[in-house]
Amino acid sequence: MRLFGSLALAATLALVGAPAHAQDAHGAVPAAPAAQPSVTDTSSAATASAAAAAVGTAEQRGEAQTTVAEVAAQGHAATPAQAVDIITPHITDAPHFEYPCLSGDYAILTCEGHLPTGWIVPVGSYQLDLSPTKHVLMMLLASALACLVLIGAARAHKRHSHAAGHPKGFAAGIEALVLYIRDEVALKNLGHHGEKYVPFILTLFFFILFANLLGLIPYGSTATGNISVTAALAVLTFVVVEIAGMRAQGAGYLNTIFYWNKDLPIFMRVPMFLIMTPIEIVGKIAKPFALAIRLFANMTAGHIVVLALIGLIFLFRGPASTAPFLAASAIMVLELFVAFLQAFIFALLSSVFIGQIREAHH
Amino acid sequence: MRTLLRPLSRPLSLVLLSAAARPALAQEAEHGAASGGGGLLDPHAGLMVWTLLIFAVLLFILTKFAFKPLTAAVEAREKALEDAIAGAQRDREEAARLLAEQRAQLEGSRGEAQKLIADARGAAEKMRADLLEQTRQQQAELLDRARRDIDAERERAVADLRREAVDLALAGASKVIERNLDDASNRRLVEQFLTTIPANGARR
Repeated sequence: MRLFGSLALAATLALVGAPAHAQDAHGAVPAAPAAQPSVTDTSSAATASAAAAAVGTAEQRGEAQTTVAEVAAQGHAATPAQAVDIITPHITDAPHFEYPCLSGDYAILTCEGHLPTGWIVPVGSYQLDLSPTKHVLMMLLASALACLVLIGAARAHKRHSHAAGHPKGFAAGIEALVLYIRDEVALKNLGHHGEKYVPFILTLFFFILFANLLGLIPYGSTATGNISVTAALAVLTFVVVEIAGMRAQGAGYLNTIFYWNKDLPIFMRVPMFLIMTPIEIVGKIAKPFALAIRLFANMTAGHIVVLALIGLIFLFRGPASTAPFLAASAIMVLELFVAFLQAFIFALLSSVFIGQIREAHH
Repeated sequence: MRTLLRPLSRPLSLVLLSAAARPALAQEAEHGAASGGGGLLDPHAGLMVWTLLIFAVLLFILTKFAFKPLTAAVEAREKALEDAIAGAQRDREEAARLLAEQRAQLEGSRGEAQKLIADARGAAEKMRADLLEQTRQQQAELLDRARRDIDAERERAVADLRREAVDLALAGASKVIERNLDDASNRRLVEQFLTTIPANGARR
């Protein structure tokens, strides 16, 4: 427990220093401008320096470090003067990433790798910042993992199929997962001749799944806990849904936007058209909006809970910290389930939306 | 309605207040983002572009190298299974058909054999009856002929005997009465006597 305490993100000590502000998990709200220069910098530096503070050496590395060491020291003294938000930097994006490294007297600590900045692409008058961030890195990692696992499974499948007629072990499990998503989630909801959309649904599922899972491992970060990422995926799903509608219904697609019910008498049809058309449009937009918010909120909320519980471990100290430790472990297991569940739900709802618009008859 | 709302008004106003405060908070977060971090709710166009790009590439790669081979392999396996099942079905039907055919054939040959046996039995019966009849006829014929022969022989023997007897009697009588009797009248007498004796009785 003690070892875990010194090795894990010791920056949570900052929470100890600010029990009054502990509930303010939104945004980086440091009380002192001195702690402002780089929020994420302070957090990771705090990893090193707060651990140092724990043994009272207060190793000096830079300005930010000093600041956090001070904060940590003040936390020790239980003076709620300064608050450093350690949760937000862990769930938000950053232009750098963390990785394990050996440093000083302590076995494993966090080092920072800086990603290139300033990749600005002017789009018209807008300056599009394409600098890769931590979440971009995590998405690339998730994609690489997905490729590794799925292509590996496909290869193993081929190899085993030749030898035994059916795959074995891990490849069989992945095959079962792929087949389940294909048959039970995608094909069942996409409607007739929905095979074209199956790769999209499968890719959605595995991309989100691996991105979710990467947030659960140390030094990882949840790209799907970023509203931009989920919004992009939702917008993509929206486009795919609408294109599926156009392809399946042709001119009848317009009926999914404009409510023109021929069963109604004309004096009812016009007012119904005027009332229902905005509702139809709102309904169209609400679906991807819900997709984006659902994934983002689920991933973010879970991580906030886990980080808060880890913070409680340091707040309680001593034997009492067993309780938040157990709670954090339990929530972590729940998060593992949620990682699968949210990927499943995103894929399921996407296929339901595609199936709906392909079958729609107004 | 008003009394109902009163206890709710305090939490309600809190919610409204927090909703109103949200943009301010987001702005603050954005402020933090500008200085290196990132707010929880501020959109990042570059990240969206990256997401779409990565997703598109992943979709392409996975479709080409993972899902297609996997699906193809699974479908091949399913097809092989279906073929095997169809083949087994076909084989079973074939076997059933053959069995029925064999059974019918067996039944046919059994009937045929039965018929053959019956025919043979009939033929044998008929032949036996014919033979019996023939034998009986032959026997009757033989018997008949024997009887006729016997009759003829007897008649001849009787005639012979009679002639012999006449001759003997004549010779004896002529010897006896050669001297005193008129030969012709005596002969007539004896002849007369002989005719009164029946043939059978005479033999005895």
